Amino acid sequence: MNDKKADLLQGTLDLLVLKALSLQPLHGLGVSNRIAQISDGTFDVKPGSLFPALHRMEEAGWLKSEWGESENNRRAKFYSLTKAGRRQLEAETEGWERISMAMMSALRAT
Amino acid sequence: MTKMISRAGSLLRNTTHKEQIDRELTEEVSSYVEMLTEEKMKNGMNEQDARREAMMEVGGVEQVKEEVRASRTGFSLETFIMDLRYGMRSLLKKPGFTITAVIALALGIGANTAIFSVINGVLLRSLAYANPDKIVMLWERSVTGTRTQNVVSPGNFLDWQKQSTSFEHMAAVADQRVNLTGGRGEPEEIKAQLVSDGFFQVLGVQPFTGRFFLPEENKVGNDLVIIISHELWVHRFGANPAVVGQQVTISGRPRTIVGVMPPGFHFLDNQVKAWVPYALDPALDYRAITGRFLRVVGRLKPGVSVQQAQAELTGIAKQLEQALPKFNTGWTVNVLPIHEQVVGEIRPILIVLLAAVAFVLLIACANVANLLLSRAAARQKELALRAALGAGRMRLVRQMLTESVLLALMGGVLGVLLAYWGIQLLIGFGPDNIPRLSEISIDLRVLAFTFGISLLTGVLFGMIPALQASRPDLNDALKEGSRGSTGGRSRTLRNVFVVTEVALALILLIGAGLMIRSFMQLQSVQTGFNPENVLTMRAQLPKKGYPEPHHIVDFFKKAQDRIAAVPGVQAVGAISYLPLTGLASRDGFKIIGQPAPKPGEEPGVEVRVVTPTYFQAMGIPLLKGRLLNERDVKETRVLLINETLAKRYFPNVDPVGKQIEVSWDGSGPDEIVGVVGDIREGALNKEPEPAIYWSHPREPYSGMALVVRTSGDAARFGAAVQREIRGIDPEQPIADVRTMKQVIAKSIARPRFNTLLLSIFAAVALVLASVGLYGVMNYSATQRTHEVGIRMALGATRADIMKLVVGNGMLLTLIGIGIGVVASIGLTRVMQSFLFGVGATDAVTFIAVSGLLIAVALIANYIPARKATRVNPVIALRYE
Repeated sequence: MNDKKADLLQGTLDLLVLKALSLQPLHGLGVSNRIAQISDGTFDVKPGSLFPALHRMEEAGWLKSEWGESENNRRAKFYSLTKAGRRQLEAETEGWERISMAMMSALRAT
Repeated sequence: MTKMISRAGSLLRNTTHKEQIDRELTEEVSSYVEMLTEEKMKNGMNEQDARREAMMEVGGVEQVKEEVRASRTGFSLETFIMDLRYGMRSLLKKPGFTITAVIALALGIGANTAIFSVINGVLLRSLAYANPDKIVMLWERSVTGTRTQNVVSPGNFLDWQKQSTSFEHMAAVADQRVNLTGGRGEPEEIKAQLVSDGFFQVLGVQPFTGRFFLPEENKVGNDLVIIISHELWVHRFGANPAVVGQQVTISGRPRTIVGVMPPGFHFLDNQVKAWVPYALDPALDYRAITGRFLRVVGRLKPGVSVQQAQAELTGIAKQLEQALPKFNTGWTVNVLPIHEQVVGEIRPILIVLLAAVAFVLLIACANVANLLLSRAAARQKELALRAALGAGRMRLVRQMLTESVLLALMGGVLGVLLAYWGIQLLIGFGPDNIPRLSEISIDLRVLAFTFGISLLTGVLFGMIPALQASRPDLNDALKEGSRGSTGGRSRTLRNVFVVTEVALALILLIGAGLMIRSFMQLQSVQTGFNPENVLTMRAQLPKKGYPEPHHIVDFFKKAQDRIAAVPGVQAVGAISYLPLTGLASRDGFKIIGQPAPKPGEEPGVEVRVVTPTYFQAMGIPLLKGRLLNERDVKETRVLLINETLAKRYFPNVDPVGKQIEVSWDGSGPDEIVGVVGDIREGALNKEPEPAIYWSHPREPYSGMALVVRTSGDAARFGAAVQREIRGIDPEQPIADVRTMKQVIAKSIARPRFNTLLLSIFAAVALVLASVGLYGVMNYSATQRTHEVGIRMALGATRADIMKLVVGNGMLLTLIGIGIGVVASIGLTRVMQSFLFGVGATDAVTFIAVSGLLIAVALIANYIPARKATRVNPVIALRYE
């Protein structure tokens, strides 16, 4: 991973994937690009971590997948959020906000 | 909940639709690569660069797939099954390796489990008595220390019992052979024990059915009861519970069965089949009418130690010595824990056997470790290839471990079979005088232990190469020319193993060699009699039918006459105790005309009672004077002595005509009328003791062993001879019908058994060590094909190559032998106590065994060496 890009915290990858899929179904490369886009290029998720995460989350029932056509008419597997996935996104967002606020105040304390 | 259901569904899908899922995954990842390439092309790259960059970014389709698989539910089960299948396949692909390793493990596990089970059963497991650590044997001991476990005088026993306070109970036991009539079958002579009141309480056992003797049944007149062994109950009474209360006839007198003992119960002698009350009368002066013949056993009170009991009884013995100097001078007491009594004698051999199996296990483990190391080295390229194709390090280690564990499991299963079979064999071959041998079964803890050791070996030595191979320099390992170099460290390790194996095998072989030499010495001992074509049997006449001495003498005389008339019978005699059966009468004696020895220091003598024709029947020569004859009755007062007595006590004079007095019944001296040749009486490995022979009318023993010399195979005369005895008394049982050769064989059954065991171990060790040597040499010869090719191309002859390869292996062998010899000199010393006629560091054995091992090693080295010389240099150089 590029030095300038931040390492993904354990568990944040799931949240990013859920977030990336919250607007529309995406294929693997789409998820990767979307994450780069919404994090202003800070996170560059490689397939070596992306695909295991997608498959794991699908098994957990947060994502569902179906084969479809990409923009360039290429067969690709599209992932979308399930109901459970949305609930998971909400829960994880909430948790993350709590943690980041706590971290922030901790770091600002003198 | 949904998560769980979803997971369960995935598990099902992942394991059932594996191929479809895999196909989809491939498609998904490749479509990612394609789309990424297109994206990069859109950004202005040419297709080739775009594709290369996309591939690099992805980092390999197979690696990604492997990562995804690893994150899936059911991954570990799936890979485990895969590893198992792969492991099985790769083991089957190398049957030589697999069979060798499995057999090595099976031998290690099997032999160990069998022997440990036996040792555990005999040595370590507690006796079948309650709190056996409280039970002690009480022996009389001569102060001079020559007799440490002498049977006890009834008079002394009664005084010990009355005066001591250390014991909850103390009981006396006397062995007897009795004739049993009742139940199924012919009258039978059985061994019985007369037991005094408290005997069963001392041992702390309960009857299987029925009851023990009541205190009042230990009084003369009330004592017509009997307790039978479980075995007798099953065989003679069909395990009928109603047998309690039934009457049987014991040596002509009716007795009521009151109880049956639990299976396997016995006291010191597992041949005893019945117990009867022993009514000792405190009012009688036993010391005046009889000698020492009781075995005494006691149960210590809680909190009393063996030392305290010993101290108390030593004090009592001291008083008895002062009060009764004529009888007790020079005698004290020996208190011995029962466990010590039962196993003390066989402990050295068991320890040797234990060490032997430990060695075999070590050799087996070293062998397997070596095989695994060699194999791992040979598989380095395969492992590197798998690593390059995306297998993670854990994955490789797991794969190797699965294989070693699979190997260990197969070895284990075969080992269990071997152990089961081995124990049956041990029990079958075992002499019946090894205590509690028949009570042994396969010991699960022992099995778990040996199995664990082998598993550990497999895991440990499966792991080392896996760890080494899982981080290889892929480039190096995959390069064509490189000959899998696990480096010098692994080779050194393998050499160390080979040297260890050779050294251990040598120690075992020397041990076995010593045992075999000792056994051969034992077999070639001159017995002093001629055992060819001699049939023997025992008859014990009951008091009822034969109340008076002349009835007994008549019976045996008649029996001899009738048997002598059987065609083919050349001579018939009888003796009180057959040689080499371990039974004897002993007493002190003095020589008339020489100064009397102090009481308690009289020299001992074996006392034998014979009919006149015994010496012809046994083939014992008369050296001086005359033999006994029909006219030597009680009043004639004559006896024969053996050569040892003559030499030791009449060194310079003719003993014939001299008089000696055997203490016996105090009836006075006898005249020596002849000297007969020495024979081995007690055991083949015991020098003859001074002995005297009395005629049967002089001491009319009611139980005698008949000795029949025949013209041909003695065993064929069994039926005819028994028919003649039944012709005199159809009720009279005949016991122990055996040839004299069988008697001798039985007397050395235990050394034969031990020799057999140790020889088996040594043979196994030899096989394992030579297989190990061969394996390593074969491997290194294969590794050196290239080198051999170069040498031959440069002009080396086949002989040079042979010398090179064999020399290498022989160097290892010789180092191993050197270490083995030094270790043996230290270790075989523990064997001295059961070796006969051969020293523990017998040079012949050491040299012969080293020679044997060198010869076997030469063969193990020669085969791979020959293979190496057959190499065609051109092919060898091109090879790889």
